[in-house]
Amino acid sequence: MAQRNILAKKQFSIKSFFFQWEWLLVIVFILINVMNANISDYYLNPTLLLDATMTFLDKALLVLPMVFILVLGDIDISVASTIALSSVVMAVLYNLGVPMPVAILFCLLVGTLCGYINGILLTKFKELSAVIVTLSTMIIFRGIAYIILEDQAAGKFPKWFNFLSWGYMGKIPFILIVFVILAIIFGLLLHKTTFGRRIFAMGNNIEACRFSGVQVDKIKVIVFTLTGLMAGVTAIFLTSRMGSTRPNVAMGYELDIIAMAVLGGVSTAGGKGRMIGAILAIFIIGFLRYGLGLINIPAQALLIILGLLLIVSVMIPNLKGRFQTLRKVKS
Amino acid sequence: MSEYILELKGITKIFPGVKALDRVEFKLKRGQIHALMGENGAGKSTFIKVITGVLTPNEGEIYLDGQKISFKNPKEAQHMGIAAIYQHVTCYPDLTVTENIFMGHEKVQKRTKRILWKEMHEEAKVLLDELCANFEPKVLMGSLSVAQQQIVEIAKALSTNAKIIIMDEPTAALTKKESEELYRITEKLRDQGAAIIFISHRFEDMYRLASEVTVFRDAKYIGTWLVNEITNENLIVAMVGREITQLYPKKEAIIGEEILRLEGLSKTGYFKDISFSVKKGEIVGLTGLVGAGRSEVIQAMTGLMSYDSGKIYFENKEVEIKNPLTAMQLGIGYLPEDRQKQGLILEWGIGRNITLPTLDRCSTKGWMNEGVEAVMAKELLEKVEVKANSVFDLASSLSGGNQQKVVVAKLLSADLKVIILDEPTKGVDVGSKSAIHEIINDLACKGYGVIMISSEMPEILGMSDKVVIMREGKVTAIMDREQTTQELILESAMMNQADFS
Amino acid sequence: MTENKVIKQIKGLDIAKFRELGLVIFIIILSLAVQIRNPRFLTLENLNDMLTNTAILGILAVGMMLVIITRGIDLSVGSTIALSGMITALTVSTYPDMNPILAVLLGTLIGLVCGSVVGLLISKVGILPIIASLGFMNIFRGLTFMTSGGKWISAHQMPVSFKAIATSKVLGINTLIVIAIVTYIVAYYFINHTRTGRQIYAVGSNPESAKISGINTDKILWMVYAIMGALSGLAGVLWVSKFASAQGDTAEGYVMNVIAACVLGGVSISGGSGKISGIILGTLLLGILNNALPLMLVSPFWQNAIQGFIILIAVLVNALVKRNITKQNLMRRKI
Repeated sequence: MAQRNILAKKQFSIKSFFFQWEWLLVIVFILINVMNANISDYYLNPTLLLDATMTFLDKALLVLPMVFILVLGDIDISVASTIALSSVVMAVLYNLGVPMPVAILFCLLVGTLCGYINGILLTKFKELSAVIVTLSTMIIFRGIAYIILEDQAAGKFPKWFNFLSWGYMGKIPFILIVFVILAIIFGLLLHKTTFGRRIFAMGNNIEACRFSGVQVDKIKVIVFTLTGLMAGVTAIFLTSRMGSTRPNVAMGYELDIIAMAVLGGVSTAGGKGRMIGAILAIFIIGFLRYGLGLINIPAQALLIILGLLLIVSVMIPNLKGRFQTLRKVKS
Repeated sequence: MSEYILELKGITKIFPGVKALDRVEFKLKRGQIHALMGENGAGKSTFIKVITGVLTPNEGEIYLDGQKISFKNPKEAQHMGIAAIYQHVTCYPDLTVTENIFMGHEKVQKRTKRILWKEMHEEAKVLLDELCANFEPKVLMGSLSVAQQQIVEIAKALSTNAKIIIMDEPTAALTKKESEELYRITEKLRDQGAAIIFISHRFEDMYRLASEVTVFRDAKYIGTWLVNEITNENLIVAMVGREITQLYPKKEAIIGEEILRLEGLSKTGYFKDISFSVKKGEIVGLTGLVGAGRSEVIQAMTGLMSYDSGKIYFENKEVEIKNPLTAMQLGIGYLPEDRQKQGLILEWGIGRNITLPTLDRCSTKGWMNEGVEAVMAKELLEKVEVKANSVFDLASSLSGGNQQKVVVAKLLSADLKVIILDEPTKGVDVGSKSAIHEIINDLACKGYGVIMISSEMPEILGMSDKVVIMREGKVTAIMDREQTTQELILESAMMNQADFS
Repeated sequence: MTENKVIKQIKGLDIAKFRELGLVIFIIILSLAVQIRNPRFLTLENLNDMLTNTAILGILAVGMMLVIITRGIDLSVGSTIALSGMITALTVSTYPDMNPILAVLLGTLIGLVCGSVVGLLISKVGILPIIASLGFMNIFRGLTFMTSGGKWISAHQMPVSFKAIATSKVLGINTLIVIAIVTYIVAYYFINHTRTGRQIYAVGSNPESAKISGINTDKILWMVYAIMGALSGLAGVLWVSKFASAQGDTAEGYVMNVIAACVLGGVSISGGSGKISGIILGTLLLGILNNALPLMLVSPFWQNAIQGFIILIAVLVNALVKRNITKQNLMRRKI
């Protein structure tokens, strides 16, 4: 029998290159910008556009680790509560006289701890689904925030703290720079490292990973802890933007964050998705919200548009698959 | 009345991209057990789905009792008296046995449509008694063993008053003893007048039960023979399309010093006091009935499961294996039993599958180097002669045998000294089987210590230098190649506790 | 002889029963503890209050259980409540003479439509339940704001007859409680004694083989979401009647309570199992907590955390008990 030659080079196919979810997102992104530019003359002002990013990038920071969690095939609905708890802890500590940098450090610590608890619970109790575990920690974390601050608000932060989400470096908002750096780090981590490769493997078939010597528990704990840390980071920027905090801060964010990742083509079933898609989705939703705000379309209408976008975005691949099989059978 | 209860003519079924059945013929006589054989991918499963109405053929005719019929859905076929017992038991683990038996044809009160639970439990009990089952109809299906679940499936077929019963590899997951029980039940069904289509990879099933055998190959009908008129060789030629001269080509490897030794390994509820050793170049066959604790011992050795007491020595040093990673770093690799669930990521390219355990080799400080990875995968794939075009071919696009070769290549990617194979040829077609055996022999010749778990007696006898036999969590015998016979192995594997003491 | 019997009994006591027994014991202990702290707890008046406040949660838990049995989840419940409540409230404020029963039917119908749309996308298009219902959670919430123009419908805009739905009594029992009990009885009969009801379990337990045995899985999936929607619609009317106000953010986040009630009641998120008796207990436990904590003078700000901890502990204990049972089964195997 002749030795078969197995190709090791990927053949470039123009069709499959352009047949990617991300291109669709790019088109939607352009459409939204064209639409916005048409309905409002103020829209295409670069300074205003840059400023607009300040309003949605704090939440967007959490989309980055959420992509990791979704690729793992898990879900974390406790993130918004983690934001609330770390934000409240930071504010209360500061108001008790702790220096701001130390308070910030505690904010990050609390977030990390919350994520770590989720990770440990999930790996020690493998029979429990992530929905259940993070649902209960979601109630608990916010509950603790309520115990600490009751229905009060805490704030009066130092001036420099406001800089984090309102400040500029040159003409570019500081938070945009932070986001770009973190997005690059998370993107590289997911797509270019062995760590990311193993996360994709776990999302596809965790059993096969166990048998292949992948340390599945360790990776899962790391990913959830990382998410907790990022929730702490988000809490800092969010608190800075709002100037004060309450226990009910960031209510419902978890669903927004998951929705952005899903719109970006990340499958909640695990194993599929790309960081670039999620990032595009963040900006699509962000600019859509900003543009509609310019022409005074109420925020409620945006809810409907968001919901429709989400549904349509998951419908298209489904319908595409059906159509293709139909065509193949016919031919 | 026609001589044949079921007749299929020129059945063709086309899936996107493949012809799963190509003008297939089949004739089933009344009260007969008819074996259907063929390699994996020969179209047997599709064929069954056509008979049971799950799939509608693109071309061809089906005659039931001489009447031309066509099924629109599985329910119609069931109504006509056709029942199937599928390869993977298709049960509802959360429901009771009674419900599993009557799913789809529950007894209901005519007027109110209320389910008649009492009547159903009673009838289920009767059916189960008929099959000599040792469990109650009210227990949950999920709490039964595979063999017990199979009996429920048969009871289900009986409850529909099926005239034609199709069994798709029912013995695949059963032990010898459980298979005997199944043979008995199958024969009883035949004697009661049912016609049975029996699909199996095991030749012994066919010889034991069937009077006729039909062979499919590459989605085509090859032929039908009387079982007592066909020889093993002819059957293999029919199935594979070429002659396989020697099924178990044992190459003599040089057996060197010991590399791995277990001493008194125990885990409560799974196994107790397990001791044996592996030498370089040696193939140790580990056998016993399914459920004897073979896989559990291996999983403890490879860190997939913890053990309570006992010691593991690797190259004469005592080692502690906490997780699969430490096992792999020591040089112990494990080829799991279920290649689709435990061995492969089906949605991934075969190249990525191979490098998963050894990502450190194609990365620097955690950064992937995909060029190096592809070349590494290519070399390994060519080494085990996988039939594929590129390292980016999806694992799901390969046949069972080739998938198994990919899993073997995955093992070879790491620096191993001991390779443990759990049922390496289970559900693999005859052609790939001998290729895998050749690879195992090569590994032994290269100085690897090999432990091979298998339930197939000929494979154990043909391949191993040493046979370790387990029963109910204990090692009952260790035999050398020369002194082993099928009878001796069976005796050790099935001996009663009373005889033992 | 007797030893054998005992072993048999232990075996017969399956996990589901063990969990229910545990819940019952926990509820009794909790009630006694509260009673000692505050003797007002076990009075008829307070019990009636408590059950009235829990009735809506109980109705919703029935629908959610069906959804979860099929391996799904419905996050749009809160929004459906708001939408149906808002439309019904607008209708009765425009036509004050409308029969309250008609109002209830209207709300239920709106919920049914909402649920059907969600179910259609999940069953026919094949969108994951969590995503489809997440999308519709936003859409229905948006629609609620749109129909009301962002305004509230407050008590004085509603006719007395409508507000009476939640305060009236049938045979001396509050109507909400009666509706909840009727829902439980109908649901119990449906899922235990009809074919369609059992098919819900079959689809959740093993979807592929359900298809092979000829069950119309698409229809079943569609149906459970439609039922969930209809019950949410019903709950929406009751909610608005009870609180005498319809707002854009009505029942926001309430879906988590509903899921929690199911989880506490032992409905398995991986599908295939769940019992009415379980969710009754789960709902009751949440209801008692809500009612008892204020009675025990626990600060309202502690309630969330305490509830969360109890849910988590229930889930963890449940898992540990299951593990222990498998371990004991293993120990029994003699080697």
